[in-house]
Amino acid sequence: MISTQAKDSIERIFYKAAQSRLPREAGDSCEIVTIPQDALDAAPEARVVVLTISSILFRLLLILQFKDDAGTRDYFVKDVADNSFQEIFSEVANLCCGAMNQELLNYFPDLGMSTPYLLSARCVSHLQQLNPGFLASYKLTLNHAAQVTATVCVCAHAPIDFVADLSAVEESSGELELF
Amino acid sequence: MSKILVVDDSSTVRDEVAGFLRKNGLDVDTAVDGRDGLAKLKASPGTKLVISDVNMPNMDGLTMVEKIRGELANSAVNIIMLTTESSPAMKERGKAAGVKGWIVKPFKGEAVLETFKKLAS
Amino acid sequence: MIEQYLVAALSSSAVTAVAALTLHKLRSARTIARHHAETGTQVEAFEHDAARQRESIERAEQERQALETLNLDLREELAQQSDLLAETRVTLKAAVDDKDQWAYQAKKIADEAARLKSLAATFERWHEQMISLMTQNQDMHEKNQELSSIVRHVVIVSLNASIEAARAGSAGRGFAVVASEVRALATRSEELSKSYRDSLHKNDLTTTTTFQDIQAGGKMITASLGSVEALANQFQSKLH
Repeated sequence: MISTQAKDSIERIFYKAAQSRLPREAGDSCEIVTIPQDALDAAPEARVVVLTISSILFRLLLILQFKDDAGTRDYFVKDVADNSFQEIFSEVANLCCGAMNQELLNYFPDLGMSTPYLLSARCVSHLQQLNPGFLASYKLTLNHAAQVTATVCVCAHAPIDFVADLSAVEESSGELELF
Repeated sequence: MSKILVVDDSSTVRDEVAGFLRKNGLDVDTAVDGRDGLAKLKASPGTKLVISDVNMPNMDGLTMVEKIRGELANSAVNIIMLTTESSPAMKERGKAAGVKGWIVKPFKGEAVLETFKKLAS
Repeated sequence: MIEQYLVAALSSSAVTAVAALTLHKLRSARTIARHHAETGTQVEAFEHDAARQRESIERAEQERQALETLNLDLREELAQQSDLLAETRVTLKAAVDDKDQWAYQAKKIADEAARLKSLAATFERWHEQMISLMTQNQDMHEKNQELSSIVRHVVIVSLNASIEAARAGSAGRGFAVVASEVRALATRSEELSKSYRDSLHKNDLTTTTTFQDIQAGGKMITASLGSVEALANQFQSKLH
């Protein structure tokens, strides 16, 4: 029910959102590689951050897993403060999903986004039971140090067809717009 | 020193924003969601500026703003939304509810510090 | 004059008198003829005038009739215009009433949209139930984990029992059977526990994604209602 160009558009939107919101500093590299579903790491203690974008026609799930190693932790945590890594990862995932939400708004008028939730990484292998029209996983490497695994899952309630035009320069975030 | 209230369900954001403002000499309190924000504002009517996320559990940011202007009858406090949301419909709802400004995350402290200082004085 | 002639006739010869009388008659005749002619001319003139006057009268009559017809036409047109004006007044009043009706409807739509937006509070209420569900799930995970570890312990115990039974030789044979059955049970329990853990994970996924869909969906509805409310308000202000 999701057309080929829609699938391609969804992937490109994810790429753009990840590349603009995951790196901590503006110049950091973000390499993205597609990986097969069974390559997902499901260590028993591993947790993932889950977010949902809902529209009348579909719902999109973004699942991010931050590798539990020093490289990833050091990259994302600025001060070794009271924050649990989970909170920091949840916020990063929130920003990434927010960017996807903003882009999708150009093609679907009314969208809503959930707050992030933490789940066991073992849940990801069961995504097929949701009957998705699009399911893909990616491995992201940030600044050659941090590793993040991402899964994008889209369940369509009606035929979806659109072409994303990502050529527009992203409006700078962080600026205060006074009313 | 005037009071600022930062409302966000993510402790990362609360620490980042409140930490930055405190480093610049401002007096800041925090709340974890809309309901908490409402309670804290009610307890400190002298608060001059509220910086709030939109997507939060228990009570979202815009509902909190509507209640601040409605039930709390507080039309004086300046409210800025700090959120991943950027849709015109949301901004319109914010404007109608009495929000003064809108910032799309991620937060860039230096860019807004002066304005925040002015709004909090 | 005749007296003169009579005197003349008496005083002179009758011929002169006759001649004079004839001359007189002639003169009279001529005069009469002349008078006749004059009268005739005058009569002609009068008749001519009369004819002209008759023509004038006829023309005047025609004009009068034309004016009367025009008057009738104008009256009729006036009547029509009056009717039209009355109709227009009715239509205008209806339009004004309609406009008031539309403004009223627009306000009702705006109010209803605003009211429905408060439904967002309902979605937030479900958040607490959701947290409760996830906590219960977490509880089940933990209990399952504990069961798993007990089962593993039972396997070890049964292995030990088998070893002891073997040591006891033929006296321990009955015991050995029981020990091995216990181990079989424990193995089945372990399988069941693993399968249960899988079910819990599936359940977690469904619960979380369903709740997130509700949370996000609620925001989507609120956004749509916001648009409806704004449009209805714009429409309402245009009507005033």
